[in-house]
Amino acid sequence: MAGLTAEVRTGMSFLVPRGRSRRHVALACAGVLALAVIGLLTMMFGAVNLSAGEALSGLTAGSDSLSGLVVGQIRLPRFLDAVLVGGSLGVAGALLQGVTRNPLGDPTIFGLTGAAGLATAVSISINPQIPQWGIALAAMIGGLGGAGILFVIAYRGAVSPVRLALAGVALSALFGAIIVGLIASVRTFIQTTLGFLAGGLYGSDWSDLRSILPYAIPALAAAVALAGRLNVLSLGDEVATGLGVLADRTRLAILVVAGILTASAVAVAGLVGFVGLLSPHIARYVAGSDNRYLIPASALVGAIIVAGADLVAKLIIMPSEIPMGIITAAIGAPFLLYLVRFKV
Amino acid sequence: MRLTSESLTLRYNGRDAVHEVSLDLESGELIAIVGPNGSGKTTLLRGLSRLLSPVAGHVLLDGDDIRAISSRDVARRLAVLPQEHPEGVDITVHELVWRGRAPHQGILQRATATDHEAVAWALDAADVSHVAARPLGSLSGGERQRAWIALALAQQPRVLLLDEPTSFLDVQHQVEVMALLSRLNAEGMTIIAVVHDLALAGRFMQRVIGMRDGLIAFDGPAGEVLRPEPLEEVFGVPMVVLEDPESGLPVPLPRYPEGAVPASNG
Repeated sequence: MAGLTAEVRTGMSFLVPRGRSRRHVALACAGVLALAVIGLLTMMFGAVNLSAGEALSGLTAGSDSLSGLVVGQIRLPRFLDAVLVGGSLGVAGALLQGVTRNPLGDPTIFGLTGAAGLATAVSISINPQIPQWGIALAAMIGGLGGAGILFVIAYRGAVSPVRLALAGVALSALFGAIIVGLIASVRTFIQTTLGFLAGGLYGSDWSDLRSILPYAIPALAAAVALAGRLNVLSLGDEVATGLGVLADRTRLAILVVAGILTASAVAVAGLVGFVGLLSPHIARYVAGSDNRYLIPASALVGAIIVAGADLVAKLIIMPSEIPMGIITAAIGAPFLLYLVRFKV
Repeated sequence: MRLTSESLTLRYNGRDAVHEVSLDLESGELIAIVGPNGSGKTTLLRGLSRLLSPVAGHVLLDGDDIRAISSRDVARRLAVLPQEHPEGVDITVHELVWRGRAPHQGILQRATATDHEAVAWALDAADVSHVAARPLGSLSGGERQRAWIALALAQQPRVLLLDEPTSFLDVQHQVEVMALLSRLNAEGMTIIAVVHDLALAGRFMQRVIGMRDGLIAFDGPAGEVLRPEPLEEVFGVPMVVLEDPESGLPVPLPRYPEGAVPASNG
């Protein structure tokens, strides 16, 4: 390269963000540790309390022992569901905030949760005995439909961030109303219904996890792969095009991935609010605004929030439990007000 | 790297802003596009850099239709800097310039030594190394403009297109940016810039293309085309062309309008 000398190269080496990546590794370890602690507590406490040792041995014991049954068949799958739901929502929020350049970006605010929830509610009201994989499939169709509608409604030559947000709010309200109407017409166990509307993991098990893994894992991988392009897109459409990133195609891909991730969460946990809003903001404090770090960090923060909220929801009014979404709403709603007051 | 347009027709805001323009921009040239507002010069630049799809005609990059080459592939050879940069980009200069490596980096690929060298060179060439760690928002207008130029340079393009790179800059920064373009050109980069200031175009650019009403009105070496008659035809005002006493290069100026009273110095 003309103009480049060895002197310049060494002189510039301090600019290579090595220290930052070491800090990222330390923070990621702290996050994983926090999640592991929540996981251990989840294995220990509930209707039956186990010691840490019993809980850990329950992970490997067969379901013929009590600890093996409680941990292996109830608590572990529910915890993994919480991790995947939280991770999916956190990443969906990060993608939506990035693509709309809007700090209020969130699957619920943009109508994706409502669309996936509507499709789920329709599938349950058509066939109340629908298997879990059918619910997941219905949620995917709804999530993709929501992403498509969001893109089409907002599309006028170029997708404006403001138009996208307004369209999402309108869709959210419409879908929410229809969902409540449908759910009210279906007679199901009240705790399941409540859990779906407020967002909860009551009774979620391995079949829930299996039903969304084929969607959530590829979508999470796609989100990480799109991070670099999302970085470029944040410089504006013209600059992005100049850098070889096709703006509208990338935006559509990001919305589709966000739709799949939202649908994964809805299929298992119902209409959980605010996780997609909160997680990227918290992640941004520690990881910065570079989406290559922000997206994995949002997944970790989302997993911690949902797993933590589910633990609290399970223990707070023992022996009964409240829907986990009420806990996330209790943290998220004041945070939304804070954002509106100081950041928007 | 040769950039050619063949009967290029471009539409902007629902009307044809560039009509069947054919141009041959040779490798290593230093070219200014001048013209009055609405003459189609920005539209032409956007068409040449594939930011705008043509209604008719083609843009060829080294003989290949630019629409037929993948956008990423184009971005490795050709960089374009639009006139206006988005607001609210809260990243550091260093992060901004790294994004210029996007067309060279694969998904999940770690930064290579070439990437590091290209970024260091771009920061240095655009003279923003000393502010690399600062957020864009904290920079002066001149520094910010040079940071965006560094972003384009990090692409290591053979052709660089810029839309009014000196607008909104004070005299010192205007001269700095033009000197930077001359230096880059001397190192072999083809430079095509929409330039508002005729005096800057006359003294820093080798070839000047004049546009009016979406057509090429004149095209040639600065010393030949920057004469009163072609300029008057393009800009619609009487012109006078002075000679820079130091370099002998043309300095076009509008003539005094009839009836205007020259300011006297007492």
